[in-house]
Amino acid sequence: MPNKRNWVPYLLISPTLIYVLLFFAYPMVRGLLLAIYDDEANLALMQEANLEADLADVIPQSASIEVLGRQGNLVPEEELGENNLLTEIWFRIEAPDVSGGTAEGWASESRIRVREEAEDGTPLMGTVRRRLGSNADPLTSVFAEPNENSEVVGQLEARTEAQIVESITLEVWFLVRGENDGRPVEGWSPSRYIQIFEDEITGRVDRGNAGEFTTKYIEKMMNDRFFWPAIRSTALLLLIIIPTQFVLAVVMALVIQAQLKFNSFILYIFAIPLGVSELAVGILWFAIFTQNGLLNSFLQTVGFIDTPSAWLTADSRNWILVAIWLAEVWRATSIVMVIVVSGLQAISSEVLEAAELFGANLWQRLRYVILPLLRPSLQVALILRTILAFQVFAVVIALSGGDVVTVLANETYRQYFDLRNSNVAAAYAVLILIISMFTAVIYLRAIRTQEEAAAT
Amino acid sequence: MAEIKVQNLTKKFGDFTAVDNVSITIADKEFVVLLGPSGCGKTTLLRAIAGLGMADSGVITIGGRDVTYLPPRERNLSMVFQSYAIFPHMKVFDNIAFGLKMHGADQKEIDKRVNEAAELLHIENLLDRFPSNMSGGQRQRVAVARGIAMKSEVLLMDEPLSNLDALLRLEMRAELKRLLAGIDATTIYVTHDQIEALSMGDRIAVMQSGVIQQCAHPTTVYDLPDNHFVGSFIGNPPMNFFHAQVEKHDGKILAKVGDYHITPHQVMAPLLQKYEGENMMMGIRAENMETLDSPADDALKVQVLVVEPLGSQNLLTVRIGDDTVKVSTHPDLKVASNDYVWLRFPADKIRWIDRESQRVIYPS
Amino acid sequence: MSNENLPQVAPEVLAVHQKMIRRQKRQRGFVYALAIAICLWITVPIFFIFSMAFTTQETVRAYPKGFLPFIPFSTETMRFFLNSEGIIPGLINSILVAIITLVLSTLIAAPAGYAISRYIFPGRNFFRLSILAVRAFPIVVLSIPLAVMFIQLGFFDNIYSLSLMHTALTLPTTVLVLSSVFASVPYELEEAAQVFGCTPTQAFRQVVFPLVLPGIAASAIFTFVMSWNEVFAASILTIQNRTLPAQVLSSLSNSSEAYQFAGGFFMLIPSLIFMFFIRKYLFNMWGQVSK
Repeated sequence: MPNKRNWVPYLLISPTLIYVLLFFAYPMVRGLLLAIYDDEANLALMQEANLEADLADVIPQSASIEVLGRQGNLVPEEELGENNLLTEIWFRIEAPDVSGGTAEGWASESRIRVREEAEDGTPLMGTVRRRLGSNADPLTSVFAEPNENSEVVGQLEARTEAQIVESITLEVWFLVRGENDGRPVEGWSPSRYIQIFEDEITGRVDRGNAGEFTTKYIEKMMNDRFFWPAIRSTALLLLIIIPTQFVLAVVMALVIQAQLKFNSFILYIFAIPLGVSELAVGILWFAIFTQNGLLNSFLQTVGFIDTPSAWLTADSRNWILVAIWLAEVWRATSIVMVIVVSGLQAISSEVLEAAELFGANLWQRLRYVILPLLRPSLQVALILRTILAFQVFAVVIALSGGDVVTVLANETYRQYFDLRNSNVAAAYAVLILIISMFTAVIYLRAIRTQEEAAAT
Repeated sequence: MAEIKVQNLTKKFGDFTAVDNVSITIADKEFVVLLGPSGCGKTTLLRAIAGLGMADSGVITIGGRDVTYLPPRERNLSMVFQSYAIFPHMKVFDNIAFGLKMHGADQKEIDKRVNEAAELLHIENLLDRFPSNMSGGQRQRVAVARGIAMKSEVLLMDEPLSNLDALLRLEMRAELKRLLAGIDATTIYVTHDQIEALSMGDRIAVMQSGVIQQCAHPTTVYDLPDNHFVGSFIGNPPMNFFHAQVEKHDGKILAKVGDYHITPHQVMAPLLQKYEGENMMMGIRAENMETLDSPADDALKVQVLVVEPLGSQNLLTVRIGDDTVKVSTHPDLKVASNDYVWLRFPADKIRWIDRESQRVIYPS
Repeated sequence: MSNENLPQVAPEVLAVHQKMIRRQKRQRGFVYALAIAICLWITVPIFFIFSMAFTTQETVRAYPKGFLPFIPFSTETMRFFLNSEGIIPGLINSILVAIITLVLSTLIAAPAGYAISRYIFPGRNFFRLSILAVRAFPIVVLSIPLAVMFIQLGFFDNIYSLSLMHTALTLPTTVLVLSSVFASVPYELEEAAQVFGCTPTQAFRQVVFPLVLPGIAASAIFTFVMSWNEVFAASILTIQNRTLPAQVLSSLSNSSEAYQFAGGFFMLIPSLIFMFFIRKYLFNMWGQVSK
């Protein structure tokens, strides 16, 4: 192997590195945030009615508010489609002023009735609306900017004809007042975050735009009625599946190492489950355990039973567990077998002969030489299998419908897919991640302790 | 008492006969080296004695006990393996103690024996270490220590030095010899390195094609090879062979090489009678020819093809008839390629070989 | 050679020998019995579902089914499954996703595998360990945030986003497998090719590439199978453009047993075919993980 300290290897690994960062590291952080960070928890209230203004305060999502004022503000065109966004249109006009000159400035659509449009719908000319009501100001103000709070540059009489130079769409901002933790808060917010009731002076915060760390998703997950059953079944399945798998895998590996006739064919058969999808395995064992399936057919033909037993119903929870156990042992033992065979192949035949020559019988060879030398392989297989066991999902759905017996991965799926709650789903995912890592660490520590004990 | 007796042992692997009807008796406490080129069956023979591959036919007895088909653990022997076969997951101490433990020795005895063995091999300071980061030489010592800690009456060694580098091998060879002299085990040592064989063994059994060609003391094997193969395998350079016509002149048997005549030793002459008129092969070692730089009546004139100065001697390659012969000369003799030299063949150093049977003819 | 001169093995030793041979034969027989038992344990369920997939729907519903349930043989069940809604598009999606995944995965992983097997560089071990660590990563954990991310990007419910996800799933394994495949070709061969006048690129193309091709093919097949089998991410990331397993899963609760059994067997077919070709490479592939 050349010891080249150059940039070539880094160039070669960079695509993988980038991909791993993009599709492992980033989702990891994102998933964690989804579980513990509510990015719509609060609504930011501004001191003035525009986004660049300083933050006045925040108000929690769904708090009641009181509308104190409104004002239009420029909004990027691509954001106009957002939900609940209230808009108003302003025209830049030129019209004869009350004072006799020409007023040039901005007036809201609510003050100008469009009379003439170009073919593409662009307004060209309009008249000033008449104000209704007895004490209304008969004149209409023209503003320097598209904003009622700006300087008044002219006054128009009703029905004055106005040349429309330009029209723009603004988002309405509300000056609102509400409470945060009992403390009164006040400030401007764009209309899209707010729902105004019919009285036009009260409303509520519809959604937030400022995030906050929260435990509510985790609480929601833990209070879910399927949470503890899922934990229990996952742990139980782990406890019964893994030991069985390891014993069977070592036996299978020893059979392969015995180099029987047709060894290659036996290996093929042993390896088939390695490539079978979880769902197919679930269906496979469903076909065996279902009411008119293979098991009942067999038992009835042999004469053990007179009527088909129902193995996979809500009343036979334990049988469902047995079915899942068998299905998982059927499916995932092959991978352990392959790892164990690789480990066995790495043991030199001379070492085994030495053990035999120095007086170890078959059992002693297994106990003192083969199994200790296999330990690294077994450890890797154990960690791998445990972590993968937390992902069992389709087998459970196929055999129990996902209700009678449920597991953590299944709950993740249910939260995301059926209940459309990606945050709680993420909380489940993070839980699975933590348990997986925790298990791996415990294994590694147990192994190290053993080695230290052996070293003294 | 651990005399090893192998009688008519045959071991086949499919169609290939690795050991072919071999018989050999190794006396108690004797050190016998099985020497031969790779594939000659020496390791197979050793493994059959160890019980690691059962014989197809024949009998093996150790100390009078028939062990032919006993598993290795019931043969009371120990072994040093070619690649050491150190258990990588055990510390050196446990490696050395393994055989003792398996035979149920008590802890005190184990401690004592392991420490003794470790002391003999100067690895007391390694007892607490794992083999994984030890050098080849250290592993070798552990393997030997494990072999002798058992104090078995039989110690088998399968090319124990072949995985060491040249310098270490030299050092270890002397140390092994000293060590094995100190323990009272019947030892069988397999090697393909003739220097090891010549320097260490009480006897050397030279094997080829599954058959023991000769089994004798090292000097005998060297000086008096039984057949063409043994002569050509032992020694560096190996024994020279060249062809000669056996003729009778004036009632005397002579061997004719070109127009030069070699007179056989008087004890050989009668034996060569029957080869009169036939072609024979003559063997002689490089150092046994006398080289002259000037003509002499009783010397054969040959042309030098190659001169190889080796420090303590010069090795000349010359041509005799159709055969190439290596001659070692004193470094003071100044010769160059294409020069002529004259060779004298001492009659008692010439070995006469029957071309048909390839056997060397000796007076009985 | 006369037999009378031959030494005779002591009778008691011969008895031991015969006992040993008998025991060896018994042990051998026992191992054969074990092998057959395990083979049956694996093949009987497959055989059963195979027979259910290739019979009439009536037989699927029948009870009890008897010992040879494959009678009568009929393609009815399988045809019924394949003609069900969403199956053919699902099949096409599955194949497309698997192919995109194997191409992407191999293209990205091959250089990294080569770098690990050929170069010693600072960070090599860390890189290897990271790959090992993410190899064991729960796909369940990745799927949710990635789905959320894809939705926000508007890049959702199509085979491409799913292929990207599956590539993330298979990439670490592919890197490890390919590095062991490259490591099996000694660097001396490349050097020899260069000594005899090849450029490094030519040396790779003409010497290394032909030698690693079978290994790469095996790894690609394995990638294909992993993607074909994956159901969690496929269910999370797709709604309309489902892959076959996602489609079967979503219609599992309201479908007939004929549909389920035929679907189960259909999904099993790639494994039955491909495992045959890559069985010899399995130990190379997975031997890596225990180092």
